[in-house]
Amino acid sequence: MNSGGPATAKGGAPAIAGDLHWRRYKFPESLYEYGAWILVLSFLAWSVSYLEVPLGRIPAMFERMVVVLSSRYYPPDMEYVMDRDYLGSVLETIQMAYLGALFGLLLSIPLGWFGAFNMTPSRRFVYPVARLFTMGFRAVHEMIWAILFVSILGFGMLAGVLALTFFCAGFAGKLFSEEIEAIDMGPVEAMRATGANQFQVMVFGVFPQVRVAFTGIGIYTWDVAFRAATVVGFVGAGGMGWYLKRNVLQIETERVAAILISIVVLVLVSEAVSAFARDRVMRMK
Amino acid sequence: MSNSAPSSEMGKTSVVDALLAERRRQRGIHLVIVIVLTLLVAWSVDVTVIQDTDWERMGSLAEVLRSAGRFVSVDWALFPKLVEPALETFMIACLGTLLGVIICVPAVWFGALNITPFKPVTYPLARLMMTLSRSIHEIVWALFFVAVVGLGAMAGIFALAVRSVGFIAKMSAEAIEDIDPGPVEAIRAVGGNGFQVLLYAILPQVLPQVLGVIIFEWEINIRRSAVLGLVGAGGLGLVFFRQMNTFNFPGVTTVILAILAIILVGEVVSYFLRKEVI
Repeated sequence: MNSGGPATAKGGAPAIAGDLHWRRYKFPESLYEYGAWILVLSFLAWSVSYLEVPLGRIPAMFERMVVVLSSRYYPPDMEYVMDRDYLGSVLETIQMAYLGALFGLLLSIPLGWFGAFNMTPSRRFVYPVARLFTMGFRAVHEMIWAILFVSILGFGMLAGVLALTFFCAGFAGKLFSEEIEAIDMGPVEAMRATGANQFQVMVFGVFPQVRVAFTGIGIYTWDVAFRAATVVGFVGAGGMGWYLKRNVLQIETERVAAILISIVVLVLVSEAVSAFARDRVMRMK
Repeated sequence: MSNSAPSSEMGKTSVVDALLAERRRQRGIHLVIVIVLTLLVAWSVDVTVIQDTDWERMGSLAEVLRSAGRFVSVDWALFPKLVEPALETFMIACLGTLLGVIICVPAVWFGALNITPFKPVTYPLARLMMTLSRSIHEIVWALFFVAVVGLGAMAGIFALAVRSVGFIAKMSAEAIEDIDPGPVEAIRAVGGNGFQVLLYAILPQVLPQVLGVIIFEWEINIRRSAVLGLVGAGGLGLVFFRQMNTFNFPGVTTVILAILAIILVGEVVSYFLRKEVI
């Protein structure tokens, strides 16, 4: 926040009583500051009216939430998620996330390298292209990737793996390039001074500096990929999302509740594993 | 090792030997890990790609390329019709983030170890809230809220709000845990109550960080709100699925371009805002 200095009387003129009040923003800044806030607030108010959000329904919503939860989603049908087929789909989801994250990470290493401003081979051509690809991969939601690949390759986990690959490439590519941009340039200059080429600089000058961070990001990417993998099946890309979709359509809400509980438990476990692994990696530093 | 070698030399060699042995052991462990991971990859490829794919439907590579090629054109006629859904998507993202920030306030208060009111109960409660919010995908949240409040933008707003609570609250609580306790003590010493401590000692210290996190989440929410149409929450997602279901593939590309456009706007705005804030 741009905080103006304390308001002082101008030009050494005798200060009048009104000027002695301390104001955080003097005239032009105050106009911009409060004007911006008013603009944002009026935009939000306008969007509430434009989207026709039924604000009157909010008080009744909590009651309805309790009713819906207790009458439809309770008790969860836990036998359904203990079923062999369902557990098989959980295993498939894990494998899908593993492969998607792995391929995505492989793809994101060149993306991160070319998209890091300090290490990119060509700032004028390669850098913008790599940045554009990273942004595009990241910007398109994993569900949209999944739909596109299902329509091209047909139902099945291949579409899911590819969707996760693209999603993870964008996700990790951005983090990788930020990590490379933050390195110490000393070793890089030393490598260059001894006549190393781009690739050698990357392998011996940059990589040792970012190795630990990359491993951490890689583990985190797997975690994120697993979270996404639980729902890409929703559009037919394999894994447990398909069970979710089927039961939602058949209004088997008690089974839906059980599936949701299983997703939460699995995500908690994967988060714990990833936190443990990242902790171990960081300690190796 | 000869007899003439001084004892210190001997000690050094054994240290070097120990280091080499340690390195060999490490290398062995790494080798085992790499082999296990490779086998896992092979197994996963076999299960997910080779067995589960309908190779006959896919046909040859040329056919795959042809079906991918259907998307390589843009239906410009659709463009004027996308302005309104794009605006809707953008608004859902803004309102969702705002509501998320409001829901965040108690979660942050309970979830920061140094200000949580009653540690054994409120702290785990807030942590549970954060994890639950983050671990359920926005599509699933949207399904739930569609069941509760009905179809429309409101379900999307609530889904985004609940989904963003986890990240914002976690980062903010961590920021609050890292503050300098000096100002807090100073305000307490002059007789400030809990609310005044929060307002004058804690908030000024974490505000830039928290605003940065909120802007970051807002940017992600734009991208999320673009798919909420899948479950009936309006916006660009709805148009996307309509185009997909009517097999208007150039239209699908157009919608994706529109999504990219609003995300680009969000990214540029967020870049400048974050620079302003920090």
